[in-house]
Amino acid sequence: MISLRKGRTSIQGSSLTRWIFVAPAMLVVICLLIYPLLSTALYSFTNKTMIRKSFSFVGFENYIRILTDPDFWTSFGHSLVWTIFSVIGQVIIGFIGALCLNRIKSPAARSIFRIAAIIPWAFPSIATAMTWKWLFNGIYGFVPEMLQKFGLTDGLIQFFSDPSLVLPALIFINIWFGAPLILVNVYAALQTIPQDQYEAAQIDGASSLQSFRHITLPHIRTVVGLLVVLRTVWVFNNFDLIYMITGGGPAGASSTMPIYIYDTGWTGRLVGRASAASILLLLFLVILCVLYFKVISKWEKEDVK
Amino acid sequence: MKRLSLMALVLILSLTAVFAGGQKEPSAADGELSGEITFWHSFTQGKRMEAIQDAANEFMAMHPGVKINIETMAWGDFNTKWNAGLTTGDLPDMSTAQNTGEVAEMLNVEVLRPADGVIDAIGRERFAENALADMTQDGNVYGIPYYSHAQVMWYREDLLANAGLDVPQTWDEFRDAAIALTKDGIYGAAVSFSPNDLLGTRYLNYYVRSAGESLLNDDLTANLTSDAAIEGIKFWVDIYKNCSPAETINYTVNDHATLYYQGITAFDFNSGFMIDGVRANRPDILDTVSCAPLPKINESDPYYSAEATQIPIVIWENSKHPEICEAFIEYLFQEDNYVDFLSAVPVGMLPAISGISDLEAYKSNPTVQQFAEEEKIIAEAVAAGRAIGFEHGPSAQAGLLANQGVIEEMFQDIIMNNTPVEEAAAAAEAELNEIFETMVM
Amino acid sequence: MSLKKRFTPGTCFSYVYLTIIAVVAVFPLLWLLVSAFKSSGEMLANPTTILPKEWTLENFKTVLFTLKFTVNIKNSLIVALVTTVIATFISSLAAYGIIRFFPRLGNIMTKILITTYMFPSIMLVIPYAVVMNSLHLTNTRGGLVLVYMSFSVPYAVWMLVGFFKTVPIGIEEAARIDGANRFQVFTRVVIPLVRPGIVSTAIYVFINAWNEFLYALLLVSSSAKTTLSVAVKTLEGADILNWGSMMAASAIVVLPSIIFFILIQNKIAGGLTDGAVK
Repeated sequence: MISLRKGRTSIQGSSLTRWIFVAPAMLVVICLLIYPLLSTALYSFTNKTMIRKSFSFVGFENYIRILTDPDFWTSFGHSLVWTIFSVIGQVIIGFIGALCLNRIKSPAARSIFRIAAIIPWAFPSIATAMTWKWLFNGIYGFVPEMLQKFGLTDGLIQFFSDPSLVLPALIFINIWFGAPLILVNVYAALQTIPQDQYEAAQIDGASSLQSFRHITLPHIRTVVGLLVVLRTVWVFNNFDLIYMITGGGPAGASSTMPIYIYDTGWTGRLVGRASAASILLLLFLVILCVLYFKVISKWEKEDVK
Repeated sequence: MKRLSLMALVLILSLTAVFAGGQKEPSAADGELSGEITFWHSFTQGKRMEAIQDAANEFMAMHPGVKINIETMAWGDFNTKWNAGLTTGDLPDMSTAQNTGEVAEMLNVEVLRPADGVIDAIGRERFAENALADMTQDGNVYGIPYYSHAQVMWYREDLLANAGLDVPQTWDEFRDAAIALTKDGIYGAAVSFSPNDLLGTRYLNYYVRSAGESLLNDDLTANLTSDAAIEGIKFWVDIYKNCSPAETINYTVNDHATLYYQGITAFDFNSGFMIDGVRANRPDILDTVSCAPLPKINESDPYYSAEATQIPIVIWENSKHPEICEAFIEYLFQEDNYVDFLSAVPVGMLPAISGISDLEAYKSNPTVQQFAEEEKIIAEAVAAGRAIGFEHGPSAQAGLLANQGVIEEMFQDIIMNNTPVEEAAAAAEAELNEIFETMVM
Repeated sequence: MSLKKRFTPGTCFSYVYLTIIAVVAVFPLLWLLVSAFKSSGEMLANPTTILPKEWTLENFKTVLFTLKFTVNIKNSLIVALVTTVIATFISSLAAYGIIRFFPRLGNIMTKILITTYMFPSIMLVIPYAVVMNSLHLTNTRGGLVLVYMSFSVPYAVWMLVGFFKTVPIGIEEAARIDGANRFQVFTRVVIPLVRPGIVSTAIYVFINAWNEFLYALLLVSSSAKTTLSVAVKTLEGADILNWGSMMAASAIVVLPSIIFFILIQNKIAGGLTDGAVK
C-alpha cells in the first residue's frame, strides 16, 4: 500500500477513461454480489419457502427462531472449532514447512518437496472427499486397518461415526488440503528477504532465534496475516468438504453454519429462515475481518517506517 | 491498441463459444410433432441412461421437428433440484419421480398435468390398480408407472448354511441369525441413518407395517409413538448396536447397499437392485445371494408387504409441448424399447405393465432366468405393497415423512446421545407435524 | 561449502519434516491412482492390498467411454478457461484503474471487494438460480462462467492490486510523453511488467473454477453440460456404486491439475502474495 499515496500525479486519467478501467469489475460486484445480498436480506424478514410463490413479512421472527435454536448454536460452535483449528493447523504446519524448505540448499530436493507439497491443492473437494472417505472408512479403510495392525487402536477406529472424532478427522483432512498452500506462499515470501540482513545480523552476533524474530518475522507477517484472512473466510464458508464426507452427521456432530443453512433452506425449504442464518454468518465474518484488517494495517504502517 | 482489440476479440469469441448452441427454435410445424422438450431423469447408470438416450435418438429421427434434451441427476439431488426449480423456474417438461410419495409432493404444489391420455393409450388395464391409485387425485392419474420394485429381505445362502441357520421368518429369528453371523469381518446386518436419506424411515416402516400399523394417523399426522413404532425403534437400535458396523449410522442408501454388494453384510433389505450391485462388486458371491419376504412379528401373522415402489414418469404443468411428452412416453413403452430398458437392471426393475414378463425377449435374459425365484418373491411384494405412508391413500405428508430426515435424526439422537426412545420419538413426531403444517397446502 | 556445514541438525530436521509432509501429501494421490488400476474384485479385498495384483485399464475405459467423461472434461475445461480469460482481463483493468486513478478510494475499493469474497456460496446460490433462469442462462456454460465471476473477480483484483503497485509511475509517464494513449500505456508498458503476477493470478482463478462444485451442481442439470466434479458426484449417487469407476474418475479430475502444477511450479510459488510482499 506504499505507492497508493504517491499515485496523485499527472498520469491520473480524465474522468471517463478512469471509469472505463474499473467499470467491468464494479459491474460484476454490483450485479453478482449486491443483488443477492439485498435479496437475501429481504427474504430474511419473510416466511418465504422454496415451494410457495407467495410470502409475507414476519419481522424478526426468523432471527428469533434461529437465535433460540440450539442446533444453530451447536453449528456455530462447530464452525468456530472447525475454522480455528483448521487455520491454526494449516498455518503452523505450512509455516514450519516453509522455514525448512528455505534451509534446504539442494535445488532438486527443493523442487521435489515443493511439488509434493502442492499436490493436495489439486484435489477438487469431491476427489478429496472420496479418497479420504475411503482411507478413513471404519469398516475397510486403510488407515483404521493400519492403526489396528500396529496395535495403536484396539478395534477399527471410527473416524466418521464417533461424534468426538468426526470433527477432528474433518479438520485433519482440511489441514492436509490447506497447509501446502501456506507452505508455498510463505516460502515465496521468505525468499524476498535480502540475505545481507542475515549476514549483518550474524556479524553482530545475533542468534538464529534473534534473527528470526527481528528479520524474518517482520518481513513475512503481513503475508501470513493476509493468508490467515483468506483461509479463515474460505474455511468458515466451506460447504463442499463436510457436506460430501459426513453431511454434518452423525447426529449433527459435524454440522457447521453452511451445513445448517443448507439443511434449513434446501432440505427444509425454509428460504426465509436460511436467509436470516446467512445474514448472521456474513455479519460475523465481516466483524472478524475488520478486526483482522486493523491488525494487518497496523503492521503495514510499521513496515513502512 | 492492437493488443487490446486482440484481447477483446478473444473475449467475444470465447463468449460466443460458450453461449452458442443455446436457443434454437424449431422449424415450422407440418402437422407433425414439433418442438423442444426437456426430460429429467435419475438413471445415471450407464445402461439405463443409454437405453433412454437411444430411444430419444430414434424418436427424434422419426420426428425431425422434435428435440428431446435429456438431463440426468443423481437420486439424492433430484428432490432438491425440482424444489429449487419451483423458486427459480428451472423445471422440465417431463421427468421421472423417485417414488409415488414424490408424486404426491409434486401434486401438493400443483405442478403436474394429468397423464390419463398416455395411460389409456398404453392400456389402462395393463397397469396394476394400486399403482395407478397411488398417483390419482380428483379422479385424474398424474403419473405413469415406469417400473416397479419392492423391499424384501436379502441374505447369503452360504453364510446361513455354514452356521446351520434357516432363513428367518420373524424379526426375532432375524435378530438371532444376524447376531450369530456377526463375526470374522462379516456383519449380520447394517442399519443406516443418514438424515440425507430415507433408510431410517424405511426400516421403521417395515416393522410398523409388520404389526399392521402405519407411520401416519388417519388424519395424516405423524405417528411415531404407537406401541409398534416404539418397539420398532428399539428393535433397530438393538440391531444397530449388536450387528451393524458402527460407521453406518451416517450412511446413505448407496453406502449402505455397497456393504452387501461387497459381501460385508449377511442380511440386507432392498429391492432386486442387489443382484446387479453384487455382480458389479463381487461376482464371486453372486450365486449365494437370495431373498425372502420381510420377517413378521409372529410366524402366524398374515403375509404383508411393507413398501412397494412405482417409479413414475410425470408430465409437468408448465410444459409447452405435452403432446410430445405423451408421444415419447408411449414410445418408451413400446415392447422393444421397454424390454431393452428393463434389461439394464434385470430383476431390479420389474415391468409396470402386464404382458411384458411373458415375452421371450424378457424371459431369455440370463439374470431373469437365474433369479426367477427371487423375481417371484419381489413381484408378490410389489402387488401387495404401497409406498411408505400410503395406507391412507396418497398424501404429501407421506413424501415428507421420508425425505426430511427427521426419523433418521431421531435414530442418531437415540444412539449418540442416549436420549430415551419415547422422548426422542415424541420430539420427532412433533417436528414432523410442524413440517406438515408448513409444507402441505 | 563443506559436507559438515550442509548437514547441520537444522537441515536434518528440515529433511525429516518435509519428507513426512510430502508423504502425507502424496499418499492419497498414490492410493487413488493405484486403486483406479485395480479390478473391482480386488479393490474391496480384505485385507487391503496396496499394489494391484493385476493392473487393468478397465475402470478408465468405463469412465471415459461408457460414462462419457470426455464430455465433462471438455465442459470443465471450457468453463474454467473462459472464466480465467475474462476474470483476469476484467481484474487487470480494475486493479490498474484502482492503483492509478483512484488512489484515495482504492484502499476502500479493495476492502469492499474482499468483503464480497466473504459471501458464502450457499447463500448466493438461490438468488443466482433465480437470475440465471430469468436471463435464460440456466443450464448453460455461459451462465456458469458468469456466476464464477462472483468469486474470481474480487480475488483476482485483490491479488493484482498488489502486483500493479510495483509498477513505477515514471515509466508510464515517459510512455505518455511519447504519445501513447492511456490504453496503449496499459497494454504495452504496464502489462508486460506485471506479466508474472497476471500469470499466477490466472492460475489461481483457473484452479478455483476447475474445482468448483456447488454452483455447477445446482445451476446446470443438462448432462451434456455438467462439469467434471459434478459428474464424479453423480457416480457416487448412482444406484450401484462402483468404487473402481469412482477412483478412476477422481484420478481424471486430479491429474490435469497436477500435471499443470508440475509444468508451472515456479510460477505458483509466489502467486498469492508476491504482490503483497513487494
